[in-house]
Amino acid sequence: MKKNILGNIQDLVIVIVTFLVIGIMLFPFFWMVVSSVKPPDELLSRSIRFVSGQFTWRNYKGIFEAGFLQFILNSILVCSISTGLCVYLIALPAAYSISRYKFPGKSLIVVIMGFTQMFPWIILVTPVFMFFCIFHLVNSYLGLIITYVAITVPFSIYMLMGYFETIPKNIDDAAAIDGCSTLGTIFRVILPISSPGLVAIATYTFAITWNEFLFALTLMIQTEKKTVPVGIANFLGQYSADWGVVMAASVVAAIPTVIFFTIIQRRLVGGLLAGSLKQ
Amino acid sequence: MAYTLVLPALALLAFFFIFSSLYNVELSLQKISLFQTATGKGEFIGFKNFVELLRDPNFYGVLRNTALWLTVVTVLFRLALGFGLALLLNSTALKRFRLSGLSRVLIFIPWGVPPVVAVAIWKWMLHSRYGFLNLFLQKMGLIHQPIYFLTSVSVVWISIFMVIVWRELPFAVITFLAGLQSVPSELHEAARIDGANGLQQLWYITLPLLKPITAIIGFMITIWTFNNFVYVWLFTGGGPGNFTQVLGTKVYLESFVNYRVGYGATIGVIMTIIMVIFGIVYFKVLFQPSLRK
Repeated sequence: MKKNILGNIQDLVIVIVTFLVIGIMLFPFFWMVVSSVKPPDELLSRSIRFVSGQFTWRNYKGIFEAGFLQFILNSILVCSISTGLCVYLIALPAAYSISRYKFPGKSLIVVIMGFTQMFPWIILVTPVFMFFCIFHLVNSYLGLIITYVAITVPFSIYMLMGYFETIPKNIDDAAAIDGCSTLGTIFRVILPISSPGLVAIATYTFAITWNEFLFALTLMIQTEKKTVPVGIANFLGQYSADWGVVMAASVVAAIPTVIFFTIIQRRLVGGLLAGSLKQ
Repeated sequence: MAYTLVLPALALLAFFFIFSSLYNVELSLQKISLFQTATGKGEFIGFKNFVELLRDPNFYGVLRNTALWLTVVTVLFRLALGFGLALLLNSTALKRFRLSGLSRVLIFIPWGVPPVVAVAIWKWMLHSRYGFLNLFLQKMGLIHQPIYFLTSVSVVWISIFMVIVWRELPFAVITFLAGLQSVPSELHEAARIDGANGLQQLWYITLPLLKPITAIIGFMITIWTFNNFVYVWLFTGGGPGNFTQVLGTKVYLESFVNYRVGYGATIGVIMTIIMVIFGIVYFKVLFQPSLRK
């Protein structure tokens, strides 16, 4: 009995400590949300207020007056097209081929993809910019889309390979007997079966591209072509930043990815580990 | 057929990663400005860029910043904190109160925040006059003068450390957690029957089994952090002065601010060489022995 009480107290302490740590980790996020609905005089006051005294949408109106809607539209356009191309058109057939066929050079391909997944983007940014200048792909949606497909393809293939291993091969055989071509099998049989996995991977890919800053910064120079992260960096870089507006823009930028990451969390971790272990 | 299906992916990767890397090496041997983009060719000057870089005394400060402050310190803290937090989240106490699912979702949130937003939040939190941290510390009576988190050389690395650890810690937590869950519970039960206490189980069962996963997480986040650009660039811009300049920001600075594309490419090549050497040493020293066990 005594031991039980001791065990209960110990458990309670663990729970309290865990949630204290979580509270500290979430506080900056909470502070961003609260600051985004505070008026300027409350933001620039020397007292700490955990809720807004005079709730206001002023900051959210402010970001749209500053042309933020264009950044959002650019981000949605570039990220959704590159995600669709990457996952459904390029990664899906490639992952299918690697997981179903045996062919010479296959392990080399897997190794190369592992390397490219680790490859630092900062080293690529100079040569890619120079290339894109030659082909007139700077300030072009197409240029940024190509870039985003390239940087997300290795990871998508890894995740899909792991997923395909859980789909039995007899399904392919049955489709072949019924007269399906290989492409038909992939897009009419495999795609629908693996759609939960595909959606999770597509969500992750979208989030990666939505968050991407370096290529968006260098490849999109005209203001009306910029994406959300670069737009926020612009707000941030102004000499005296309007912090309410910066925080409102931050909330808008963070909401989609936070929701996406929360939903696909479990699948994602398995994929990350499988991808890295294969390397 | 097998080749046809991988071909689009392979062509894209070859163009984007391999071809670009080779072009980067070519650029590093040239004197070329950002405005010589029509042809993409400058004046061939051999290894002059490399000589200039290696003779620049500032370069070694930048190298030390990158290796020590940006990478080693934050990676070690993330591994230690990540492991500790994963142990907490995996504890039976949370399962008893049915809180493990909720706690996992919550701890993951900072990783969903875009890096640019993470920088914005922390710049505001650390604002010298109206930032939460300064106000809080002053209200508690811990400090009397505000701390200039972004401009004072004594604390600026701590500020960068905070934003990186805050946003990147969940990745370490979640991967360690996945590792902990793969440890068979029978092992712990057997050890308990043999009389091992919690600490002994941790030391003799959990830690050895988690060694390979730790090696991989350590490697991945080291490479990612070593090459990181966005945190330092947006947080301090490498300042005050050159105090927090790192290799990632230096590449961007030379290529896109000073328009010296050849010189920027040279720094990229040096970074690649450093990483290759690091990768070989790391796997020889750490990874292979841990796999053999």
